Amino acid sequence: MGIQLTNPFLVFVSNQGLSNLRAKEILARDGLNALTPPPTTPEWVKFCKQLFGGFSMLLWIGALLCFFAYGIQAASEDEPANDNLYLGVVLSGVVIITGCFSYYQEAKSSKIMDSFKNLVPQQALVIRDGEKKSINAEEVVAGDLVEVKGGDRIPADLRIISAHGCKVDNSSLTGESEPQTRTPDFSNDNPLETRNIVFFSTNCVEGTAKGIVINTGDRTVMGRIATLASSLDGGKTPIAKEIEHFIHIITGVAVFLGVSFFILSLILGYGWLEAVIFLIGIIVANVPEGLLATVTVCLTLTAKRMAKKNCLVKNLEAVETLGSTSTICSDKTGTLTQNRMTVAHMWFDNQIHEADTTENQSGATFDKSSATWAALARVAGLCNRAVFLAEQGNVPILKRDVAGDASEAALLKCIELCCGSVGGMRDKYFKISEIPFNSTNKYQLSVHKNATPGESKHLLVMKGAPERILDRCSTIMLQGKEQPLDDEMKDAFQNAYVELGGLGERVLGFCHFNLPDDQFPEGFAFDTDEVNFPTENLCFIGLMSMIDPPRAAVPDAVGKCRSAGIKVIMVTGDHPITAKAIAKGVGIISEGNETVEDIAARLNVPVSEVNPRDAKACVVHGGELKDMTSEQIDDVLRHHTEIVFARTSPQQKLIIVEGFQRQGAIVAVTGDGVNDSPALKKADIGVAMGISGSDVSKQAADMILLDDNFASIVTGVEEGRLIFDNLKKSIAYTLTSNIPEISPFLLFICANIPLPLGTVTILCIDLGTDMVPAISLAYEAAESDIMKRQPRNPKTDKLVNERLISIAYGQIGKNTTAGFFTYFVILAENGFLPMDLLGIRVGWDNKYVNDLEDSYGQQWTYERRKIVEFTCHTAFFASIVIVQWADLIICKTRRNSILQQGMKNRILIFGLFEETALAAFLSYCPGMDIALRMYPLKPCWWFCAFPYSLLIFLYDEARRYILRRNPGGWVEQETYY
Amino acid sequence: MVVLVLVVLCSWLAPALASGGDDEKDYDSAFEYDYESLRIGGLVFAVLLFVMGIVLIVSRKCTCSKSDKLRSRGPDVESGVPRA
Repeated sequence: MGIQLTNPFLVFVSNQGLSNLRAKEILARDGLNALTPPPTTPEWVKFCKQLFGGFSMLLWIGALLCFFAYGIQAASEDEPANDNLYLGVVLSGVVIITGCFSYYQEAKSSKIMDSFKNLVPQQALVIRDGEKKSINAEEVVAGDLVEVKGGDRIPADLRIISAHGCKVDNSSLTGESEPQTRTPDFSNDNPLETRNIVFFSTNCVEGTAKGIVINTGDRTVMGRIATLASSLDGGKTPIAKEIEHFIHIITGVAVFLGVSFFILSLILGYGWLEAVIFLIGIIVANVPEGLLATVTVCLTLTAKRMAKKNCLVKNLEAVETLGSTSTICSDKTGTLTQNRMTVAHMWFDNQIHEADTTENQSGATFDKSSATWAALARVAGLCNRAVFLAEQGNVPILKRDVAGDASEAALLKCIELCCGSVGGMRDKYFKISEIPFNSTNKYQLSVHKNATPGESKHLLVMKGAPERILDRCSTIMLQGKEQPLDDEMKDAFQNAYVELGGLGERVLGFCHFNLPDDQFPEGFAFDTDEVNFPTENLCFIGLMSMIDPPRAAVPDAVGKCRSAGIKVIMVTGDHPITAKAIAKGVGIISEGNETVEDIAARLNVPVSEVNPRDAKACVVHGGELKDMTSEQIDDVLRHHTEIVFARTSPQQKLIIVEGFQRQGAIVAVTGDGVNDSPALKKADIGVAMGISGSDVSKQAADMILLDDNFASIVTGVEEGRLIFDNLKKSIAYTLTSNIPEISPFLLFICANIPLPLGTVTILCIDLGTDMVPAISLAYEAAESDIMKRQPRNPKTDKLVNERLISIAYGQIGKNTTAGFFTYFVILAENGFLPMDLLGIRVGWDNKYVNDLEDSYGQQWTYERRKIVEFTCHTAFFASIVIVQWADLIICKTRRNSILQQGMKNRILIFGLFEETALAAFLSYCPGMDIALRMYPLKPCWWFCAFPYSLLIFLYDEARRYILRRNPGGWVEQETYY
Repeated sequence: MVVLVLVVLCSWLAPALASGGDDEKDYDSAFEYDYESLRIGGLVFAVLLFVMGIVLIVSRKCTCSKSDKLRSRGPDVESGVPRA
């Protein structure tokens, strides 16, 4: 980040600020002080992306081929068949309707996104022409003199020229959970570390500061990160890659079938034109017309289900991505932690006590009976300037807003929870005088009136850096009794201090002193400038330590991710000690796993002597990361299972994500801050926090956790894996009807029989009866515990592989015979015995032959023949529907028996009913014979397919039985999809 | 199961009721098929199946929302009571 610390505008600094005129000039030159929103794709481009993306292209090509074939027919024949024209129109219609549907879905979620946008205009207090005035933050220009105070949002990047106790919350920019002090001193070469710069869109927590604007708008640090994020390309989602792979396979099959029958038809003596039409017909027949809609609807259903569980998915395809995720890189502050300081531990009576840090106060509590605790609580409550904001009486204590420093707020809430109203306590002990905290003496003290009988009239309370406090004490309180502070106790203090500090907690020491009544009678004038009262030889009471505690649901969620084979990595801008402590707390570094440093400390050897391979966990500092080559980074990523990256910059987060992606991992990144947004964008799936997340991070993310609950990620993984499995089933089911649809055409070409199944009936299956059952498979429950298996390997575990195609086309494709059986039965009932059908096609389709003889010598007119033919189409269609019953039931499971899986999926049963009802309706509805040329079927024709249906069901049950009995055997290798 | 039997019965009975009566002697009767009653029977069958499907979905919705309510009420009550 190249911020110039020496600033050209510094020359002009005066208390007058910029002149209005000059400000106008600069505003005209630099533009408004606002982040340029990422280039929004125009709506029509978005729509076109839906129309021409991935799977749609397959259908478009199919449609074009149809129109082309129709063109050939129209040119070469007098009265061309309209089938190809209809088919082309229907294919285009399907693509357009599905495109509109998914466009609508995504527009809906982007509407929710828009609602996140912060519409409240920010105000900034600037000094221009020597006058203070409040202007819209967008009009702030470089060189402006700006004043900020506690609670303000910083309007631009400022260089501080004067400050009073100013602290800023940089967590959204750097990930540091603690507020940072800001002074005019230049303390570090790194602009992010130096004390004298505050950043655009961070918050001033307390104090006041005056500064000169050094950068505005996109030139601010925040703006550069946002620009970096929007310049990155997210790449293709895993499911898009899978669909592409599927298209390759299906195109391969289609072209292979088409070309071989093209050659065959030439050999059989058809003309060139006819052969080309056959070729196109076969290729188009391979296109699964309904699949695009099925996949879209399945993904939408899952997206809806996830939205109900508070995961908002911005891009439909991202629904599945979490399911294939193998690495989660999580930010710490605000994602894994609550982003509020809370008292975690206390040390008094020479013992460490644990405080309850859970959000709903369901954790363990400690012994509050000791008199020392009462004294400690009193000091913590009195020597504390934080107050609850007014009118929050019925808000739970932990949720109340507090004015004041984060750690004082933590103390206030802790005491309010444990000991009741702090306000009451402060009323009882009236504050006479106080010395606020400053960085030179590192303590804060106050003197209060004390009405407690048995104690002196005035009580002095003090808190501050533990070692400074201890230096000022000569006694220590143990079990409520003052005792001299000996070396043994000092050692005990030191141990406790080191231990709490090692947990990454901020530790404060507390002491008090009963000012003797003889020296300090009532009405004594305490002077804080002269300090006319003792501040040494006090009585030490205890320590309290604070941390930004992990969210309650996180450890459990991390554990679940672990058991699902997902690596969870922490990448944070915060300090290593805090990061490591939280990582241990939430299980990112699991119990018993040590880092190199831990091993070195345990064995008492230098770090360099420890073999890095012995340590499973490691903590990498951003500074080290900067000097690593990409091979070294790969080495770290590969050989450690539990990694914490601390003090990382936004670019380094990006490098880490790329490192994982280089190794073939599918990476999810979770984060809430601006500093996470480049990584969120680069990741295969970026997950942002809905409540605490910054706008920039939400824009960069693919998924938003509306309740900020990390545990929702587990839901996402589960849903993603489930939909991947179910899509496989859906596709397998849809493809099974492909062969029964193509084979009639093939036989029509080769055996010269009347066409058994027409284009209209094929469309009725693909876009009619098969739709609901295929979609219903998206509701199928998981076959086994999907959260206990490893994430899929994107290289080997494909959505559609050759085995699925061979099952769908080859084995289940046998259901074709059911259709042909029905076809031959009907023709035989009408007098055409199967053997006499061979070669009958030319006469059959000739309009001018009105005396075609059947096997019994009856003569058939063209019109009567066609009625029989279309009745056969209808019957063929009906038998496919009946066989699809069995297919649907066997596609429910890939491994289990239907007896294990059960028929609990009601949508699927509805699908069975609905497809049968639709088939009956199409066959029996009056007028269908004219509209679609579908004729009523005699009841017995429906039953022709029943045995085949049963056979397929039994066959597949047997296959899956063998598959289960011989894991890894031939059947599994060849048929498990 | 009972419902299924009913459906089948209905679809057989409906055409029988619709076309009761005329039985003129006709030697071509073996080649004539009563498509009219077949149509009606088929349509009744289709409608019944469809309605059954809808009923299935609707009944699922009801039971589901009830159990959801029960489940979601549980944790709320727990967290509403502040502990210690």
